[in-house]
Amino acid sequence: MIFYKRDAPLFIKGCCIYFGCFSMATLTRQDLNFGQVVADILCEFLEVAIHLILYVREIYPSGIFQKRKKYNVPVQMSCHPELNQYIQDTLHCVKPLIQKNEAEKVVMVIMDKEHHPVERFVFEISQPPLLSISSETLLSHVEQLLRAMILKISVCDAVLDNNPPGCTFTLLVHTREAATRNMEKVQVIKDFPWIVADEQEVHMEEAKLIPLKTMTSDILKMQLYVEERTQKN
Amino acid sequence: MDYLYLDNIDEFVNDQNKIVTYKWLSLTLGVHVNTAKQMLYHYLQQKRNEGSGTPLHATYLVSGKCVENGSKCHKVSVVREDKLNAVKAKMDVTISVHVYSVQRAELKDSSPLYNTDYDAVKENIKNCNKYSTIRCAAAVPMSSAEVQRAQEMALVPPAGKEISKTGLNENTSATPKPSAKQPAGIMGMFASKNASKSQESSKEVKTEQKDDSSLVETSKSKTASKANPMSNLFGKSAQKKADEKPNKSVKEETAASSTAPAIMEQSQTSPKSKIDIKDEQSKVSSALKVESKDTRNKTKRPEVVDSDDEKMESQQKKRRRIKKPQPDSSDDEVVPDSPPVPNVQTPSPKKQVKREPVSHQEESSEVKRRKRRRVLKSHTFVDEEGSFVTEKGYVSESYSESEEEPEPNSQAKDSSSLKQSFGKREEEKKEKREKKTSTANKPTKQPSIMGFFQKK
Repeated sequence: MIFYKRDAPLFIKGCCIYFGCFSMATLTRQDLNFGQVVADILCEFLEVAIHLILYVREIYPSGIFQKRKKYNVPVQMSCHPELNQYIQDTLHCVKPLIQKNEAEKVVMVIMDKEHHPVERFVFEISQPPLLSISSETLLSHVEQLLRAMILKISVCDAVLDNNPPGCTFTLLVHTREAATRNMEKVQVIKDFPWIVADEQEVHMEEAKLIPLKTMTSDILKMQLYVEERTQKN
Repeated sequence: MDYLYLDNIDEFVNDQNKIVTYKWLSLTLGVHVNTAKQMLYHYLQQKRNEGSGTPLHATYLVSGKCVENGSKCHKVSVVREDKLNAVKAKMDVTISVHVYSVQRAELKDSSPLYNTDYDAVKENIKNCNKYSTIRCAAAVPMSSAEVQRAQEMALVPPAGKEISKTGLNENTSATPKPSAKQPAGIMGMFASKNASKSQESSKEVKTEQKDDSSLVETSKSKTASKANPMSNLFGKSAQKKADEKPNKSVKEETAASSTAPAIMEQSQTSPKSKIDIKDEQSKVSSALKVESKDTRNKTKRPEVVDSDDEKMESQQKKRRRIKKPQPDSSDDEVVPDSPPVPNVQTPSPKKQVKREPVSHQEESSEVKRRKRRRVLKSHTFVDEEGSFVTEKGYVSESYSESEEEPEPNSQAKDSSSLKQSFGKREEEKKEKREKKTSTANKPTKQPSIMGFFQKK
């Protein structure tokens, strides 16, 4: 089995080392491939965020979650192997899209028993065209911003109504242009193909928009908001 | 008195949907912590009296003396408002109670509280106790030479560090103990499941060829040092068990030597991430404990466990903890930067410890599961009820199948009580599972874990 991490072990380690020690190391363009760095950071963050949303919105029982550490703060991650595998595989496939800056949005849709969406957590991603690497504390700054995002997700239940019981979730990716055509040709993970999403999952009727957090940094811009159905039951 | 602060707090809590802890408030407004606590209290009173608008939730810090497990201790905990009276009643003497935080959201666990204070403290790291009442004359910032020396020391194996932490945590209470047991119940299901699953999977992979002996050695030293923080978490009464633990878990480690596989591959990051876990543990066991926030306590698993099961659990838990540091992207541990240390752990393939193939497979499957390295093997068979069940690799949905298979491993013991309680629901689950596998026509597989949990 191949983890996505294996494809770029150096880069992951590079990133995480920086995150680990509030490093003063400078990134130079020659050393690292930026697209990959950003994609790694983003995919790690998305994994944590998805697990946290599952915990906070009570999609799965809290017993399967365990406290782990990320960005120096405790976060809840699931221990269920299939669930983790699903999330990992999905993000593994999303990664190449992010690397090429073709992913516009990553959406986590929460659906009720009839598969009608009740909530959509939308992560809008954009990368500035010129990646500037001026700051020495770039990565620790990014870590701080991601920490703030995590915090905002933790308190999002104050602004959202409760979900009906028996909800499930799915992950969608909105890409720019025709990026997915390439994806279909190359099956990134075996037995894990992507399909075009159903219309009913993409659009939600009577949606309320609730912004959660925006972050802007030199390497990445991200906006997190929630589309919530007005009547959930 | 100037009441502007009420508006400030109102803005933070209601408009910005922030969690306002007293520490954060004191650093933000530049006031003494006691003033901040009073401000929060005043704000809470005012809002409650008005009785309007959005509901507010608060957490309190309660400290007092109580007798736990036969020993007197001074307990400090952060509790949710609804548990406040219960906790106060449990204490012999309540020494202090004050508002810890005010927020709109109903927090499910204590992580956001820590997160809130983190950045505020980090910014003011040089004078973060400017407004606090805790003073220590000996707490003086180190000179840069001392800092360098400390950094060099940090690269040396962390065994010594663990022991010093033991001393610090001596006085903390054992509240994590019940919560630690509860997750072990559900987590135990993952472990035992994979144990039985592995018997079926024939594809072992190169995993077993990795070095077992070096893992045994390192795990021995790890377990010794592991014992100390672990025992702190479980409280003084469990210290006796802790002594037994190293022996037993060492044996288990040797038996489970095939954990070597994936662990060794990324062994470089293991030592430091173990430190991270310990950091986390010590944070958890330090002054602030959110006992009542841990909703795991409410899960179905009955607390009646006899001592054998307890040992098994704690061993298992211990083994899990030891394995947990094994780095993995989805573990999301902060990967450490300790280049010298990996040399110690580099596998030198030599002798292969021969154990029961069963336990090998169990451990490798357990590790595999943890490493997200799953052997994708599909089994489709007709079970008792005549329903088709497809099971893949270490899919945990097939919980009830594991009951049918023989479980030679002692790990099964601690999940046996769980199984009894699940036995009734077996039928329903099987039906549900059928439905789920049939409706899983989308290639993006939706994990169905209804088979696991009878609750909620």
